Amino acid sequence: MRAETLKGHLDGILLAVLEPEPRHGYAIMEALRDRSAGQVDLPTGTIYPALHRLERTGLVRASWSTVGGRRRRVYELTSAGRRALETERSTWRDFSAAVTALLQPMPLAVSPQ
Amino acid sequence: MNWLGTPASDAQPGVERYLAEVAARLPGSPRAHRDIVAELRSGILDATDAHCSAGLPPAEAVQAAIDEFGDPARVADGFSAEIATGLARRAAVVVLVTGPLVGVLWIVTAVASHIAPHHQWADLPPGLQVGVPLVAVAAGVTACGALFGIAATGRLTRWLPDLCRRAPAAAAVAGFGAIGAEALGLALLGAQLATAAGTLSPWPAAAAAAASVARLMFARRAAFRCLAIRTGLT
Repeated sequence: MRAETLKGHLDGILLAVLEPEPRHGYAIMEALRDRSAGQVDLPTGTIYPALHRLERTGLVRASWSTVGGRRRRVYELTSAGRRALETERSTWRDFSAAVTALLQPMPLAVSPQ
Repeated sequence: MNWLGTPASDAQPGVERYLAEVAARLPGSPRAHRDIVAELRSGILDATDAHCSAGLPPAEAVQAAIDEFGDPARVADGFSAEIATGLARRAAVVVLVTGPLVGVLWIVTAVASHIAPHHQWADLPPGLQVGVPLVAVAAGVTACGALFGIAATGRLTRWLPDLCRRAPAAAAVAGFGAIGAEALGLALLGAQLATAAGTLSPWPAAAAAAASVARLMFARRAAFRCLAIRTGLT
């Protein structure tokens, strides 16, 4: 799945990946790939600016920590981030239900003989 | 440690080249990019480890990690918007907060020099009668620009993400407003010195003038940087 397809949903997806536990940038990317069974494969470099944007808007909190001798910036959801994730989930459920219904193949109209 | 702050043990020429390419495209000073570069470096090194664990030889693992991070120009574009937003926000906050502080110093000067509240408005020299309302207008423009700049870079952008794009312009307006207010204030001081220097209380006037000069210089720098970064974004 390309970045363009995900446009508008990346923020929600990042929040969802951070819901179970705080993670650093590369672990977020790995979780994205695992949870989408490899379907989501963005250029890894592009998720970092998105994480900084979520931090600025108060949806995630970031802190530096050193693990195994490597300094990493670890992101965790704030309570505003959890609320935003819930909103994102219900919006997506409504949207996908509507689009699924609309894309359903319709029986062809039988033309009068 | 090199200029990007790399511990020697983690230095990989390919990775450093990639990071330098990203950094070269970011607005602002290398010091401001230090954390971004450090974070990307640790990510690329994590990716390298992951590719090594998957069985790639070290040199290929480094290249695979770099390829995985994507076009440096695209990564830099993503960060540029965030850097511009941060710069505009800081400029707007500083200009907004320092305005009332400098204003108080001028009021103290006026009171200590027995200009206010002893004189009726009509008794004031004509320069002050014209100048003071102009300063108030400039301060109003500054406050509006700064408040918009702060609003357009904060939590509001969760719902209105495109608002950030207008923040540098708003911060630049605030900066030029502050330049106008301070230049007028200093001009009024100059006029007062030329016509009735003896009435001025020297210490408060010197403190107010120094504060005005400092704010003017900050506002000038911030306004032009915000204008430049705004042009870079579009």
